[in-house]
Amino acid sequence: MSSSGPPTPNDGDLVRSARRGDDGAFGLLVQKYRRAAYAVAYSVTGSHEDAEDAAQESFLVALERLDECRSPERFAGWLMTIVRNRSRNLVRRESLREMDPVPLSASTRLPTPEREAELSELQAVLRGALDGLPEVQREIVLLHDLEGWKHREIADRLGLPSGTVRSHLHFARRALRDVLGADATVEEGGRSSS
Amino acid sequence: MKAFSRDPRSPSDDIGRDTQIAAMLAPLDPATTDRGYWLRFQSRLMRAAAPELARRRMLPDLTMGDILTGWARAVVPTAVLAAAIAALALIQGWPIQLRPAGSVTLEEMLVAGMESETIPQALDEAAAESSISFAAERF
Repeated sequence: MSSSGPPTPNDGDLVRSARRGDDGAFGLLVQKYRRAAYAVAYSVTGSHEDAEDAAQESFLVALERLDECRSPERFAGWLMTIVRNRSRNLVRRESLREMDPVPLSASTRLPTPEREAELSELQAVLRGALDGLPEVQREIVLLHDLEGWKHREIADRLGLPSGTVRSHLHFARRALRDVLGADATVEEGGRSSS
Repeated sequence: MKAFSRDPRSPSDDIGRDTQIAAMLAPLDPATTDRGYWLRFQSRLMRAAAPELARRRMLPDLTMGDILTGWARAVVPTAVLAAAIAALALIQGWPIQLRPAGSVTLEEMLVAGMESETIPQALDEAAAESSISFAAERF
C-alpha cells in the first residue's frame, strides 16, 4: 500500500508553499499523508466512516493552522497529532450521542451493500483484533505493516524512541497473530470459521 | 483471500514489514475494494480546502522590511514634526504649559479648603474624629 512515484519536494518546502496558498503543494502533502492520516484515525476510531471524517477534517484544520507549524520539516508528526486529537474528539462525541435518550435516525453514510457484503465479516474480525491492542500499538502496526512507514519515520513522527516503536510493533504483531491466527481463520470467499 | 495462519518465520519485506500481518490488515485499506477511493478522498478534500487556499493567496507577502518601512512611514514624520515644534518653542522661549489652566487634580480637590496642619496636630485626640485628620494622614 506504500505509494511510489517521482521524488516530491521535502515537507518544509511544501508547507511553506502551502502557506502562500499553493494548492499544488497542499495537494502533494495530502497525497503523501492521506493514507497515514486515515490509518492513525482508524486506530483511534475503529470505524471506516469516522476515520475518513477525522482524516479529512484534520487536513483542513492543519491547513487553517499551517502558520502554527513551527517546524515545517516535521509536518507529518504535527499532522498526526491533529489527526489523533480530532479522532479522539469524534469518538467522544459519538459516545455522547449514544447516551442521548432520543434515538437518532440511521446513518446515511453506510457503505454500499456490495462493499458491506464483501468485507463486513473480515473487517469485524480485524476490528476485534485491533481493539484488543492499546491505541499506540494499533497506530504503529497500521503505519508500519499497512502503510509501509519505516521504524525511524514512525519514531520521528510520533515522537517516540525507535526501540519503543519496535517493542510496540512486536507486541502488536504477536497479539494480532494470536487473535487472527487462532480464532479467525478466514477462508477463501470471505467465509470464516474458528 | 488467503487463510490466516501462524508463521514462526515471520516473512518480511525490504523495510522490515511483516508481509503476513500486512496481508491480514490489507482489507482495512478502503482502496482494497474501491480503487478510486483515494482519488475521491483527495478531490473532495481539495474542494473543501479551496476557499482557505484562495484566502492565503490573497494575503500580501509581508517581509520584515515591509513591516519596518510601514512603521517608519508613520512614526518618523511625526517625530520630526514634534522635534521641530519643541526646538522652535525653546528658541523663542514660549512658556510650555503641560496642564491647561484651571484644571484641578484629584489631590487638590481632596485637600481644598482644609487648613494646613502638621501631622502631630492632626493626630491630636481632639481632632481624631475630624475629617481633616484623615486627609492630613494621607497627604
